[in-house]
Amino acid sequence: MANDRVPTPPPLHDLPTAKEKRYDRQLRLWGASGQVALEEAHILLVNTGSGVTGIEALKNLVLPGVGQFSILDSAIVCEEDLGVNFFLEDESLGKFRAEETPLESFLQKDDNLKPFTLLLVGAPIDYASLRKIRDLALASQTPLFYTHCIGFFSHFSVQLPRAFPVVDTHPDPTATQDLRLLKPWSELQDFAKRMTDDLETMAQHDLGHVPYVCLLLHYIDKYRTQHGKLPESYKDKTAVRDMVRAEGKDEENFEEAYAAVLKSLNPPTIPSAVRDVLSAPETQSLTSVSSSFWLIANAIQRFVTKYSVLPLPGAVPDMKARSNDYITLQQIYKSKARADCAEVTASVRSLEKSTNRSAKLEIPVNEIENFCKNAAHIHLVRGRPLQLITPGEKPSFGDRAKALRSELTNPESLMGLYLAFLAFDDFTATHTPPVPAHPSSPTGVLVPGASDSALEADAAKLTSTAHTYLDALINESGNRLEDPEYSDLRAEIEKYCTEIARAGGAELHNMASLTGGLVSQEIIKVITGQYVGVDNVCLVEGVASRMGTLKV
Amino acid sequence: MQRRDRGTVQAVGAPLTVRVKNSRVLLIGAGGIGCELLKNLVCCGFGSGYIPPNGANGIPSPKHTPGITVIDLDTIDLSNLNRQFLFRKQHIKKPKALVAKETALPFNPAVNIDAQHASIFDPQYTVAFFRSFDIVFNALDNLAARRHVNRMCLAADVPLIESGTTGFNGQAQAIQKGVTECYDCNPKPVQKSFPICTIRSTPSQPIHCIVWAKSYLLPELFGTSEEEANDMVETEGDDQEEVKKLRAEAQALKKIRGLMGTSEFAKAVFDKVFYEDIERLKSMEEMWQTRKKPVSIQFDTIDKLSAAEGAALASQDQQSWTLVENLAVFCHSLATLTGRAQAGESSIDFDKDDKDTLDFVTSASNLRSHVFGVLLHSEWEVKQMAGNIIPAIATSNALTASLSVMLGFKVFRGMLAAESETATTNGHTMVMKPNNPPLGGSKFIFLNPRSTERIITTQNLARPNPACPVCSPVYAELHIPPVDADGNGMSTLQDLVGILIGNNDYAHFTISTEAGVIYDEDMTDNYSSPLAELGIEPGSSGFVTITDDDEDPRADLVLSVTAAPADGGLSIESHISYGKLPLKPVPAAPPTESGTAPDVKSAMNGIALLNREKRKRGAGDDGDDEVDAAAAKRAKAAPTASDAVVTIDDDGAILLDD
Repeated sequence: MANDRVPTPPPLHDLPTAKEKRYDRQLRLWGASGQVALEEAHILLVNTGSGVTGIEALKNLVLPGVGQFSILDSAIVCEEDLGVNFFLEDESLGKFRAEETPLESFLQKDDNLKPFTLLLVGAPIDYASLRKIRDLALASQTPLFYTHCIGFFSHFSVQLPRAFPVVDTHPDPTATQDLRLLKPWSELQDFAKRMTDDLETMAQHDLGHVPYVCLLLHYIDKYRTQHGKLPESYKDKTAVRDMVRAEGKDEENFEEAYAAVLKSLNPPTIPSAVRDVLSAPETQSLTSVSSSFWLIANAIQRFVTKYSVLPLPGAVPDMKARSNDYITLQQIYKSKARADCAEVTASVRSLEKSTNRSAKLEIPVNEIENFCKNAAHIHLVRGRPLQLITPGEKPSFGDRAKALRSELTNPESLMGLYLAFLAFDDFTATHTPPVPAHPSSPTGVLVPGASDSALEADAAKLTSTAHTYLDALINESGNRLEDPEYSDLRAEIEKYCTEIARAGGAELHNMASLTGGLVSQEIIKVITGQYVGVDNVCLVEGVASRMGTLKV
Repeated sequence: MQRRDRGTVQAVGAPLTVRVKNSRVLLIGAGGIGCELLKNLVCCGFGSGYIPPNGANGIPSPKHTPGITVIDLDTIDLSNLNRQFLFRKQHIKKPKALVAKETALPFNPAVNIDAQHASIFDPQYTVAFFRSFDIVFNALDNLAARRHVNRMCLAADVPLIESGTTGFNGQAQAIQKGVTECYDCNPKPVQKSFPICTIRSTPSQPIHCIVWAKSYLLPELFGTSEEEANDMVETEGDDQEEVKKLRAEAQALKKIRGLMGTSEFAKAVFDKVFYEDIERLKSMEEMWQTRKKPVSIQFDTIDKLSAAEGAALASQDQQSWTLVENLAVFCHSLATLTGRAQAGESSIDFDKDDKDTLDFVTSASNLRSHVFGVLLHSEWEVKQMAGNIIPAIATSNALTASLSVMLGFKVFRGMLAAESETATTNGHTMVMKPNNPPLGGSKFIFLNPRSTERIITTQNLARPNPACPVCSPVYAELHIPPVDADGNGMSTLQDLVGILIGNNDYAHFTISTEAGVIYDEDMTDNYSSPLAELGIEPGSSGFVTITDDDEDPRADLVLSVTAAPADGGLSIESHISYGKLPLKPVPAAPPTESGTAPDVKSAMNGIALLNREKRKRGAGDDGDDEVDAAAAKRAKAAPTASDAVVTIDDDGAILLDD
C-alpha cells in the first residue's frame, strides 16, 4: 500500500512492454495479431538496377518491425547510387551493395526461395531470372511484388496466392453497423417495448432519453400494425421517418432516430463477396488440413443456412440515453453476438472432429470470434500470376482482355503506361550491353536510354513495341478502337516511352521514395492479412501525382 | 554536375536541378514526416549548392547561401522509433533536430544542414528569418504551430508546403499568399471541450471521467498551473452556483496536497474525491431527478492489494481492472508520483507516454466511472482517449513526405520560370506570364486508405478565401529605429499613429497586438507609451494589426516589426500606402469566378522542356498539346470538389524561350 516513502518501483523494462511502447502508434491500426505476423515475416529483396525503390520499401518494413529480410544484389556501389540511396555513403563506393551472390546461381536451387514469406523484385532484372522467381513463387504460393521506377513513372504488380482471404478488412466504422431492426430477437424486442411502453404519456425529459434504437423499433412495430408488413421499400421507410418526425418534439434522440431510419432499416443481407466465400470450393470440401479460414467459413455457411443471416457483430453506436439504459442495450447486443458466436464455435468443433483435424490445429476461440464479428466484410482475393511478356512475341491478356480493352477508353486509366513498362521489359530482355558495362550495371541488362547516342533509337523501339502490345490487346478483345481515341492513345504511349527512355533507367529519389511507400504499405497489408489491398497492378504518374490500378 | 545528381537531372532537367541545389529550405519538424522529408530533400540535392564549371556563365548565383535549416523542439522517445528512421535506440532523449542532421548529412555531405533545437514560436524566428528561405516545409504535429508558420509564411511571402498524416490518411498542399488558399482559409476543427459541470458533477461517458482525472485531479495534486485546462470550459449551460461550489471543492483538494508523502495521503485524496465530493453531489436532489445517482465509495471499505501487486497490475494494460485492482494501481501511481514530486519535479503534467501519469489517470478515471456507473476501460483504451493518440506509421509518412517534395519541385519549377522571365525582361519587375500556373502547377494531394483504386488523389488548389482573417490582410514591415546611447529616440505609439495619419492617409482606425487593442479613437491612454513597452519591438515574432474603421474600410494592415536601418526613422515599408490597400472584403463573399483559366497544357511537357538542352526529346518538341486531349478528357471525367471555385488548372506548361 501507499506508505511513507514507498520506493519507486523499478521501471518495467521487460520486452513486451518496451515493444508495445515502440510500436504503440501502429498497434492501434493493425493490433497485436498484425504485429506478430510482421515479426514472423522474412522478406527477400532482389535488386539489380539502381534499386532505390526496393530499399525505400525495405526501410518502411524494417521500421514497423518486420522480422527478417535478405537482399540479393550483386551490384557494386557507384557514385550515381550515392545520390539516391540513403543507405550508401561515400565510404561505400566500390563495395558490393549487398553480399555478393549472383542471382542466376542463387536461383539454381529451388529450395533457396523456401525460407521467404514474401518476395520483392525491382526492375530492371535479368528476365529469365524473373520468370524463374515468378514460377517458383506461383508453385509455393508465396506473395511476389515486382516494381518499376523510372524518372517520374512507376509501377508495381502483386502476385498473391490463388486464395488469399482477408478477415480484418477494417471497413469504415459506419459500414459495420448491423442493428437488426427489421429482424429483432425477443430480448431486444422486449427491451424496446419496455422503454417505449408509455411513450405517448411519458414526461418530456424521459422521452428525451429513450435510446433511438428503441424508438425505431417502436415505430417499426406501429408501422407493421398499420400496414401489415415491414417497412422495406424506400417509400415505406420515409413513412416511418415521417412518423418519427411527427412525434419528434425536438429531442436529440428523435433526431438521431430520424437520421438513422434510411441506413438502419435494412433487412440483414449477405454481401455477394461473402456469398462467394461461403460457396467457394475450399469452403465446401474441407480436409483435415484446411486452413482455419475455410473451416470457419463452412461453419458460418451452416449458420446462414439455418437462420438466413450472418452472426451478429454486436456493436452499438453512441446515442443519447441514460447510461444504465445504454449499458443494458449494449449487453443485449453483446449477448446475442456471443450466442451466435457460440453456435458457430460449436459447428467449428464438430467440423474439426468430422474432418479428423489434428488437435494441434484446433482453431482458437478468438479467431472464430473475430471472424463472426467481421463476417459481413470478409474479402477473398483470387491471386493471378504476374504477367510476363515473351520477348519478341505478342502478349496475351487472356480472360482480362475485354476488361483491359475497356480501360483504353477510360481517360483516367494508366493502361498506356502499363504497356510502356511491358515494352521496357521486352527491351531489357532483348538487349545486352555491347561492352562490359559500367561496373554498377547488372550483368547482361541494358536499359533503354542508357547512352545519349542511342536515346532516340531506344525511344522509338520502346514506342513501337508498346504500340504492338496495344494492337495485340485490341485484337484479343475483339473490340475495335476508333479514332480519335486510338491515335490519342498511341500518342500518349509514345510520350510515356519517350520519357522512360529519356530517364535512362535513372531513379528520382523522391519518386522511388513514393513508390517504395506504396509498395511497403501493400506488403504490410499482405503480411498482416488485414485491409483490402491493390489487386493486382498499380501505376503512378508522378508529375501530376496520379495513380491508377488495373486487374491484369 | 556531380554524378550523384544523375537521378535528379535525368528526371527534372539540369536547370531545375541547379535551382534546387542552390535553394535555401526551411524544414520545421523532424518527426515522422520530417525525417522522411529531410532524407528526400538531401537525396534530391536540395541546398547542396551548385558550383558552375570554369567558364560557365548564365547561371545566376544564389541570393542566399544554399542549405537546409531544420528546426524541432522535441527530443527522441522510444515510441518514435517505429517510423522516424533517422533515430536509433541510443538517441533516445537527444534533440531530434541535431540527431536528424547527424544521420542525414552522410546521405549527401554537400548539403549544408543547419539544425536548431528550438521552438518555432521562439522570438528569433522573425518574418525576416522566414523571408531568407526559398521555401518552407511544415512537418508539424499540432494545429497551433501549423497556424503560426502559415501566418509567418504569408507575412514573409514565402511558399509553404503543408502536410500531415493520421494512420493511413495523409495530405500535402502548397500555400502562397494571394495565390492559393492558406491553412486558415477553412476553419479547422477545434479540440472537443466539455462543460465544466459535466466533467465535475454529472459525467455520463468514460471520456468525461478521463478528462476529470487528467485535467482536474492530476493538476490539482501535482501541477502548478493556475489556468483551467482547455478541454474543460465554463459554458452558458453551466449552473453558476454549482461552478462556485466546484471552485471551493478544488481549494479543499489543494489543502490535501499538504499531506503528500505521509501515510494518509492516498486515503485523504480518495475519500475526498470519491466519497465527500460525491456525497455532496448526491445531496443535490434536483441534479438526480433525471439521472442515475452516483454511488460513493470509501477507502477503508475496499480490499487492498499490496504495492507490488499494484505495480504488477499497472503493466497489464490490455485488460480491464476491477474496482480493487484500480484502487491498487491508484495507490501505486500516487506513491510513484509523490516520489517524483518530492525528488524535485515541481509540476507533473499528463503525458500519454509518461507511464506514471497514465497509470494515475486510468485508475482514477475508472474509479470515478465506477462511482457514476459508467463503463470501465483498460489502460490501453484510456491512453488512446486521454492522449488524443493519432496512429502513425512509416508508410503514410514516407508517402506524404515524397508528395510534399514533389510539390517542392513544382514550386521551384514555377520560380525558375518566373526567374528566367525576369532575366529576359532585363531584370525589371517580375511579370508572370498569364499561362504560368501558380506554384508550378501544385495540387492538393490526398492519401485515401479506404480506396485501393485511388490511394493517391489530387484536387486543384483553391483560391484564397477573400474573407480569411489570416491571409486577406496586407502584410508589411514596421521599421523601428534603435535607441541611442542616452536612451533618446524612443519611438512611441503616438509616432506610429502619426505615420499612419500623416504618411498613409489613415483616418479612423484601431491598432492591436496579440495582447489586444492598444489604440483607437476613444482609447488614447497608451498614446505616449514607448512601442517597446507595448510589446512592439524588433526581434519579436508578434504582429501589429491596423484595422481601418472607415465607412468603406481598407483591408487590414498587418505589420511585422524589425529594426530600422542605421539612419532610418520609424517607418512602414515604403511601398505600402493607404490608397494602394485593397478594400476590405465583405465577409462570406462568394468564391472568385473561374473566368481566367489559362490554357491547359501538360505538366509533363513543362518538365520535359526544361530538360531539353540535356536530353533531346525524340519526338515533336513543339507538340505541347500531345497529352492535352487526354488531360481535357480527364478533367471532364473527374470533376473535383474544388472545380467550381478554382480558376487555374495545374497542368500548365512553362513556356521557355529557346
